[in-house]
Amino acid sequence: MIGVEGLSVHFNAGCAVRDAQFAIAPGDRVGVVGESGCGKSVLALSLMGMLPETARMSGSLKIDGVEMAGSDEAAWRNLRARRLAMIFQEPMSALNPLRRVGETVMEPMRVHLGLSRADARRKALALFEETGIPEPEQRFRQFPHELSGGQRQRVLIALALACDPDVLIADEPTTALDANVALRIITLLVELSKRRNMALLFISHDLEAVRRATTRVMIMYGGDIVEQAPTQSLLVAPAHPYARGLLATRPRFRPARQRDLRLPTIPGAVPPLKDLPIGCRFSGRCPVELAHCREQAPPRRTQGSGTVACHHTGEVLAGHARPIEKAFV
Amino acid sequence: MIRRFATAVPANTAIGAVLLAVVLCAALLSLVWTPYPYAEMNIAGKFQGMSSEHWLGTDQYGRDVLSQLMAGAASSMAVAFIAVGLGGLTGAALGMVAASVGGVTDDAIMRLGDLGFAFPALLFAIMLAAVFGPSLGVAIVAIAFINVPVFARVARAAAIQVWTRDFVLAARAAGVGSFGISMQHVLPNIAAPLIVQATIEFAVAILAEAALSYLGLGAQPPLPSWGRMLAEAQTLLYLAPQLAIYPGLCIVVTVIGFGMLGDGLRDMTDPRLSKERAA
Amino acid sequence: MQYFLFRRTIGFVLTLLAVSVIVFAVMNILPGDPALTILGLDSTEDARAALRLELGLDAPVASRYLEWMSGAVHGDFGQSYAWSVPVGELIAERLPLTLSLALSGMLFTMILGLVMGVLAAADHRRFGDWGVMFVSQLGIALPAFWLSILLVLLFAVKLRWLPPGGFPGWDEPLAAMRALVLPTIALGLVQSAVLARVTRSAALEIMRQDFVRTARAAGLGRSRILWRHVLPNALVPIVTIIGMQFAALVTGTIIIENVFYLPGLGRLTFQAIANRDLFTVQALVLMFAAIVIAGNFVVDVAYLLIDPRLKGRMR
Repeated sequence: MIGVEGLSVHFNAGCAVRDAQFAIAPGDRVGVVGESGCGKSVLALSLMGMLPETARMSGSLKIDGVEMAGSDEAAWRNLRARRLAMIFQEPMSALNPLRRVGETVMEPMRVHLGLSRADARRKALALFEETGIPEPEQRFRQFPHELSGGQRQRVLIALALACDPDVLIADEPTTALDANVALRIITLLVELSKRRNMALLFISHDLEAVRRATTRVMIMYGGDIVEQAPTQSLLVAPAHPYARGLLATRPRFRPARQRDLRLPTIPGAVPPLKDLPIGCRFSGRCPVELAHCREQAPPRRTQGSGTVACHHTGEVLAGHARPIEKAFV
Repeated sequence: MIRRFATAVPANTAIGAVLLAVVLCAALLSLVWTPYPYAEMNIAGKFQGMSSEHWLGTDQYGRDVLSQLMAGAASSMAVAFIAVGLGGLTGAALGMVAASVGGVTDDAIMRLGDLGFAFPALLFAIMLAAVFGPSLGVAIVAIAFINVPVFARVARAAAIQVWTRDFVLAARAAGVGSFGISMQHVLPNIAAPLIVQATIEFAVAILAEAALSYLGLGAQPPLPSWGRMLAEAQTLLYLAPQLAIYPGLCIVVTVIGFGMLGDGLRDMTDPRLSKERAA
Repeated sequence: MQYFLFRRTIGFVLTLLAVSVIVFAVMNILPGDPALTILGLDSTEDARAALRLELGLDAPVASRYLEWMSGAVHGDFGQSYAWSVPVGELIAERLPLTLSLALSGMLFTMILGLVMGVLAAADHRRFGDWGVMFVSQLGIALPAFWLSILLVLLFAVKLRWLPPGGFPGWDEPLAAMRALVLPTIALGLVQSAVLARVTRSAALEIMRQDFVRTARAAGLGRSRILWRHVLPNALVPIVTIIGMQFAALVTGTIIIENVFYLPGLGRLTFQAIANRDLFTVQALVLMFAAIVIAGNFVVDVAYLLIDPRLKGRMR
């Protein structure tokens, strides 16, 4: 349904997404994981045709088999809401503060589906019900500032579902929420995806959230998709050095006496866009770096049921398992 | 401050300064020399077009238009400087008192200021004109009056910040009184925003003087004035439309000059404000 | 919210009272002897004494003020010295023209200013933006009365489309409206330049906010987002400016009426000054101030209608 091939996004400062390659089928639940500034949001915005004007996109992006790279705003507008929908990180500011939330949810139905007020209202109320908003009739007439963060995010999900899209892109949907509210939102997204056979692209830096929400996951670093695999296998046995670092540094509950005073971290920081190495983006921070890593972009290889972009072969990656993790801890 | 001025003079400041320099030179020159005495009538030579003798022609009484414009520049500038000076000094003093005393005095001064904002200059000029008869003095007082709350507000806001600074605390600890601190420390530090405000208020004052003189509440004959020239020209629109153009252009050029200079000065002295404006 | 309205209403009344005190003080105490002002320096002491008696000027200032105010509340401003009719009648006759001019000027200002401002913001850093900014910069420096003269020169003298001035009265509605076209433009154009700038910066601020991105993601069109989402939100800061502009427009009518020879309150004011009709001027100044203050009051209340967040806070 969504097919991405060799997709790159350039800004004046540098390359934000490089040579992305993946496909999303109906009902897929795909996670995108990485630190902030790794290109997750840019990737999501490019799928919506909502990149800032300063961005240049190259490569192929097919939606329902139609090439969308280079399309104009009108073509994109036809896809948004009906085929693709998106929810954002900040439910506090993502709703028009002057509008009753019911009106906000009804608007795309009236515009895209041509529903009458009464029909749109009925459908919006049903969506409020479906997204687990208590007392929908009352909430319908309220303004965003009268709702809690979790309720606002549910309203935004209802808004995204207004025209029954085939794909829902969720960009850090739980980051701004309390842990238990976040958990319920994730459960809701998974349920909705299953019930509607709707694909879900779940962007997060939180591995635990991704584990709960998705069946497949892409790890991004410095604009590259460095590893792609089924969520379960990737979380158990990551291959790419960066993926290993990410998993190794994930906060976990450990027995009290073993508990370290510091959280483990990957040494160094993601370099700014203009300073990214031209070869493997992770070179400079990678514990198993080779001489040519910095100069040559790594090849994408099949590894198990996923792909890995690394100069090391699968055997090497598997064999070095312990030392790589040691380097991070 | 001087260094900041030297390093980056924005284009609008430069253009504004040049426009104003031209107007100011014409005004100063008119005090010692004009092509003809500005009030000298010559009925035989009325409504002349442009010529080498009368560069901008003559009006319905044969008076030289250029000479009148130059003399008008002098009176406009004089009114603006006196009115903004008077109002600005009074306002700044009140603002500094409000900032240094605080409490009830502060509240009272600022409440009165709010009231001043609710009261347009034209209404004030009308009242004064009704009581004392229309005159340039009435126009000056009315324009000065509206400047008081404006400067009081600017001075107070700036002074309150200065009062929290370390060197003021040090001076207070050394036993310097409120008045001494206001003069020695506060005034020099709030001068920049006051000067910027004054530049902008000059533009407002030029517009206000022209309007009042046009309405007959300002400069009285034979005192030259752009506003009154326009009022006279309006009755002759069918005969000599050009007479209605020149004085208006003079007003616009002067107002734009002060406006650009003020904007530029503000950009140079307060980058935060300029960003707010540009956003 | 009721509390908010209550407080604003009290503030409105207090401001009105304070202004009335100022007006009364300037017109009655500043001249020393109002009778001298009315009759002029060459009047005899007997004539002045007679006038003082006639106008009740012998009473103490405070009681005269109270009498004036209690009359004013009922629309009774006393007798006009120059026209020998009640001042209230003079005002009532001319108020409709001034109010229609002020309101049509306000409408013109808001429509032109808001549209230009939003379009400039939508075309940020491109041709339309620069164009609007340049024109508005010029507009701010234009004296309204000169603009009026230029408009008359073009549309009345050269093109002969519209009358250069005067007012045929409301009995001929079409001619009356034609007579108000140029005055409305002259009155509103400068203010719309100011409003366009404010609207532009407010709209640019709003366009950066997250909910605009949400609206785009929901597939809404550019113009729909601009006019239905950005503009209403931008109105919140704009409303304050509109209140200040209303004051400028109301006093602007005084000038414009004199340019176009329109028989409204502004023209009456100048006739009263020429006739040394002190108490008519006093009533007129109070009238103008009251309209300005009322305009600001309406703006305060308009906030509540625009921004639902305030209702919660003010409750």
